[in-house]
Amino acid sequence: MKNTGTLKVTTPTDREIVLTRVFDAPRHLVFDAFTKPELLKRWFGPRGWSMPICEVDPRVGGGFRFVLRGHDGKAVGMRGVYREITPPERSVHMESFDDYPGESQVTAVFVEQEGKTTLTATVLYPSKEVRDIVLKSGMEHGAAESYDKLAELLASPEAQGSSQAA
Amino acid sequence: MELAEPFAMSQPAISKHLKVLERAGLISRGRDAQRRPRRLEAKPLAEATEWLESYRQFWEARFQQLDAVLHDLKTQNLRNQINIKKKNTRRSKR
Repeated sequence: MKNTGTLKVTTPTDREIVLTRVFDAPRHLVFDAFTKPELLKRWFGPRGWSMPICEVDPRVGGGFRFVLRGHDGKAVGMRGVYREITPPERSVHMESFDDYPGESQVTAVFVEQEGKTTLTATVLYPSKEVRDIVLKSGMEHGAAESYDKLAELLASPEAQGSSQAA
Repeated sequence: MELAEPFAMSQPAISKHLKVLERAGLISRGRDAQRRPRRLEAKPLAEATEWLESYRQFWEARFQQLDAVLHDLKTQNLRNQINIKKKNTRRSKR
């Protein structure tokens, strides 16, 4: 199907990454796709990955639990806690990976105009170093490799020093 | 001095900007008698752009999968609406 928009990625401050993308659907559908497990399972995993665990409790203080599995059997677990959730407009959650240190805050804002929805997701990292590691981790070489690299980099003394300072 | 000329900025202000760029590793400073020629260090800038681009591609691939899911949802919604209308027309005919 046709692309409705192209993803824009910016780094407005040292600790942030902002993703902006237009979807050709009303925002209640886009919001559902981010919070309903049966829908998340269909797109959240990188191509070829499955999501054997996908649970979401969309309430303040509730959270989510995802386990993604690659074709080589490698699993990546992540979890989050909602700090704010106002369907279908906005959510704020804290997010972390099982195997790597560091927690990031993700603010998602959904704005609908003429049946299309603009998503702006702001990811705030504990430090510039952690953010740069995420950016540097070479996401294009498949998620497994990049997650491995991320783990390695986060385990390096440089990254640990900076996340402790944050 | 030469670098400051095209800008509506004082020489000290330009020096300040140059210092920031130098600290970030984006320019380097040479020495030529009284002149301090700056050289543009393109590599770190290119690297930074590369990271952003690979990160962007990673998420764009996911969002294209999401586009397909949203397309299905919209079609389903439309079908449901048509079915409801059909039911209503049947009911009103009775």
